[in-house]
Amino acid sequence: MELKRFKRTLLQVLILPIVACLVLAEVLVWQIAGSNSTVTQIERSDRRIALATSIEKYVVDEETGLRGYQVTSDPRFLLPYTSAQAPMQQAVAELQSLPSPGQDQALAQFVAEHRTWRQGFAEPIIATIRAGGHATDDDVNLTGRARMDTMRALLDQIARDSERLSAERIRKWHRQCFLVYAVLVMLTLAVGIIIGLFTRDRLEAVNAAFRRSLDLQRRRAEELFHSEQHLRTTLASIGDGVITCDAEGTVQMMNPVAQELTGWPESQARGRPIAEVFHILNETTRQPVENPVAKVQRLDHVVGIANHTLLIRKDGSEIAIDDSGSPIRNEAGELAGVVMVFRDVTMDRRTRAALLASEKLAVAGRLAATIAHEIHNPLDSVGNLLYLLQHEPQQEEARHFLEIAQTELARVTQISRAMLSLYRESRAPVPVNLRDMLDDLLLLMESRFNSLGVHVSTELPPEITVDGYPAELRQVFTNLITNAAEAAGQGGDVTVRVIPQVPDPSPSAWRPAGAIVEITDNGPGIAPEIQDRLFQPFFTTKGEGGTGLGLWVSQGIIRKHGGTIRLDNHADGSGHGAIATVFLASKPVLDPGGD
Amino acid sequence: MKNNAHLVLCVDDEVVGLRVRKILLERAGYHVVTAVDGHSGLEIFAAQPIEAVVLDYSMPGMHGGEVAKRMRQAKPEVPILLLSAYVGLPDEVSSLVDVYMTKGEGAPALLDKLGNLLALPPASHSSGGPKDGSV
Repeated sequence: MELKRFKRTLLQVLILPIVACLVLAEVLVWQIAGSNSTVTQIERSDRRIALATSIEKYVVDEETGLRGYQVTSDPRFLLPYTSAQAPMQQAVAELQSLPSPGQDQALAQFVAEHRTWRQGFAEPIIATIRAGGHATDDDVNLTGRARMDTMRALLDQIARDSERLSAERIRKWHRQCFLVYAVLVMLTLAVGIIIGLFTRDRLEAVNAAFRRSLDLQRRRAEELFHSEQHLRTTLASIGDGVITCDAEGTVQMMNPVAQELTGWPESQARGRPIAEVFHILNETTRQPVENPVAKVQRLDHVVGIANHTLLIRKDGSEIAIDDSGSPIRNEAGELAGVVMVFRDVTMDRRTRAALLASEKLAVAGRLAATIAHEIHNPLDSVGNLLYLLQHEPQQEEARHFLEIAQTELARVTQISRAMLSLYRESRAPVPVNLRDMLDDLLLLMESRFNSLGVHVSTELPPEITVDGYPAELRQVFTNLITNAAEAAGQGGDVTVRVIPQVPDPSPSAWRPAGAIVEITDNGPGIAPEIQDRLFQPFFTTKGEGGTGLGLWVSQGIIRKHGGTIRLDNHADGSGHGAIATVFLASKPVLDPGGD
Repeated sequence: MKNNAHLVLCVDDEVVGLRVRKILLERAGYHVVTAVDGHSGLEIFAAQPIEAVVLDYSMPGMHGGEVAKRMRQAKPEVPILLLSAYVGLPDEVSSLVDVYMTKGEGAPALLDKLGNLLALPPASHSSGGPKDGSV
């Protein structure tokens, strides 16, 4: 129920009882007014009775005064007669002013009768006696007496009628009083019922609306609860650590993975600054790294995964992580908080390291057979020569055999040196002479080329040096040259070419000074469907013979050297063959994390 | 020994090793012809009355196993000594030849094994096949 309707209902509930009570009061006033008029009429009747009684007394006084004067002729006896005259006239006038149906005639008869008695009977008698005469005539007296009786009868009638009327009016008043009571009770009842029903109806409407809004509220709360539960479950099920902070960088929530990784229980971490809970260092420099939350606050956009980050856990132990932070925005688009996602990459690192070691071993294994062959051949000759020398007394021949033996031993030394340098790890980049390195490699792989029936030609400038890790670069070129030789196959040709690169300062094609190493074969080339997968780990076209890691590792090494590596088919339209192109800068910006 | 010299064919792509081995065998009293690859070796093997073959395994073009197989097909009675710089050659290769040894075992071992091969009657060192015992 909207507020407007609710207010209207409140007003209705207030106004209706007032209106109903006003109506009730009006009816009561009307009823009481009717009853009041009846009471006035009753009073008038009573007044008439009283007036009639007074008039009768004055009439008796007049008659008594007249009779005393008649008997004594003493004027003093006549005093009641004369003094009654004025009040009686006054009472008659008042009675005339109180009209009553059916009595006016009786009153008029009485007035006429009294005038006749006074003028026709009393006045003559008084005049006679004043004149000294006597008024003792019985007939006259009897007539006077008869008139007096008539007057009394008329007055009695008036009094009786008035009494009857009064009684009637009193009964009417009683009826009216009863009616007022009845109407009062009924109206009160009716008004009460109406107000009650109306109020109940309104209250029920309010109640229904209240219940509806309560229901809605409960449903919303339930939905909110479910939605929050759902989000919580989702968050808890995420395999990565998730921490949310408010805009000030205070921890608000952590999922179980985040608690596990940081070592902070959510209950303890909540409310603490993120830097305290999520304490990170650069893996290499061990310097504090700007916290993703701070970075998001500063930059106000998603900050990506930082490489080589160490998370210092609550107990001081360290784990390698990848992390990222994203802003949380409110409806107005303002920064309301930051959500940070991170994961343990220790296992990733180990797996990667194991893969790299495995590929290194595979390369070593492939070369080992070659190297054994390379060393056994000259050793066999040397052994044979020593045997001959033991049984050969001739000076000239012995000298010749020694010369051959020395040459063969020099070959063994060269091979073993090449092999050593292939696996010597250097901690820092050193200048690498590409020509020497490639010569060594080709020497080691010579027998492999022989057995494959591949002819290898080189185009190497005398002196071209790049900074790098020699062992790793050898691994790359061993891979690429082996691939080329295997692709070229029996009777095939492989060309290894080094092309010095002058720097290109133009902004569009900026390139530092360096060298391009091209390894070309005339094999079947690269099928278009595998072109995209060449550098993926575990992708191999050699079946059991390959680890599928060679190109992946090579790419990592070249990236670490700040160079580029690509594999294409010949662009010269010769129809087939692949070309591997590696660019290495002379003074590269080495990226130690590139592998 | 010298008046009853056997004709031995040496096949190896390692020129120096081949030359030294030729001198060694000649000093031991053998007549030695050499070939630097499988094809020329097979030609000589077919053309001359070779009595034993000292064959290198790892050669460009045609490896020793293939050469030995063809020699067996042509003259199964001729003993073959396979030399290799590798250890652990496939069984189908080592079972094809009479003796298999790795390079670097030394000259006495080579001479000893070759001498044994030639001293024995051909039937016993031929590793089997249709021509077994035909000479």
